[in-house]
Amino acid sequence: SGELYCSLPNPRNVHFESVNMKNVLHWSAPEGTGDGVVYKVKYSVYGVGKWIRKPECRNINRTWCDLSSETSDHEEQYYASVKAFLNGMCSDWTETTRFNPLTDTKIGPPMVSVSSTEKSISIILTAPEKWKRSPEEESISLLQVYPGLRYNVSVLNKKTKKRWWFSVSNTTLVVPSLEPGTAYCVSAQIYVTTPFLQSVFSEEYCIATLKDKTA
Amino acid sequence: SVTEIRSGFTAIKANIQARDPIRTLSILSYPHSLHKVKSSDRCCITHHLFNFYVDKVFKHCKTEDSYVNRKISSIANSFLSVKRKLGQCHEQNKCTCGQESTEKFKQILVNYEGLNVTSAAIKSLGELDILLDWLEKSR
Repeated sequence: SGELYCSLPNPRNVHFESVNMKNVLHWSAPEGTGDGVVYKVKYSVYGVGKWIRKPECRNINRTWCDLSSETSDHEEQYYASVKAFLNGMCSDWTETTRFNPLTDTKIGPPMVSVSSTEKSISIILTAPEKWKRSPEEESISLLQVYPGLRYNVSVLNKKTKKRWWFSVSNTTLVVPSLEPGTAYCVSAQIYVTTPFLQSVFSEEYCIATLKDKTA
Repeated sequence: SVTEIRSGFTAIKANIQARDPIRTLSILSYPHSLHKVKSSDRCCITHHLFNFYVDKVFKHCKTEDSYVNRKISSIANSFLSVKRKLGQCHEQNKCTCGQESTEKFKQILVNYEGLNVTSAAIKSLGELDILLDWLEKSR
């Protein structure tokens, strides 16, 4: 559609939503516009001169655009911008604030696996991987991206409702001196002190310690 | 400490970066990212950059917002204490400057002097997370 004159209201709330560095641009439709609005998207690397169009998000009617590939270098910072078109009219370009994948992403909870003996449980924690273009691409754990990454682990005795908290940096935690034949539930969260980032807690993983053979 | 600087900056990042309309130039990252600095030169660049922020940047970062100004001065104070520690390393010759880091710092000054002083100071302040990301990655 040709750009006649730009009197259409601007797209609103143009921002990145990012989880584990999967960076998706979102926005809301211009005020007062019904169906039929289409959009164009462009992005730029902060400090570099040019805006780059995103062909896969040209004349789209949805209000999001995945820019993970274009913003995958987390040592750079980015801007993105959206323009709306309706019936030959257009809006101005509307920009995001400066997006820093390293500090502006949300971290997902860790994967938790548990095993048990009579009097202890072993917990293995795995940090999520950074978003990658394809399964064949080399995986990068967020542990590599955030050297200061740590885990908060909660262990609950289902019978007594007693709960223990641990803050660990390595990926294996053994909780000793437990009651045989008892169910324990484990949940874990990731946190990074600087930049400050904190995941939600994982779901609970419950396991019972083995029964005391001598009893 | 760096954590205090980070939390102080996070509180005013959007405000400060919104005052910098120039997308096409970076003080710290042009033409090459700080992340390209060799590990042997890291101490020297850090020493130079802390002096740069204390001596050149913070004094030109006054805003009309008293909350932002308070945050800027607390960041500046944290810089001063880190700068003192780095100064001791420099005096004990544990912080030698190679040719590459000298060139990199010269480029940063060229980028800075390419703008009027207020724009350059606000842009440098808005790039603190670039410096902090680099410092934390190389810790």
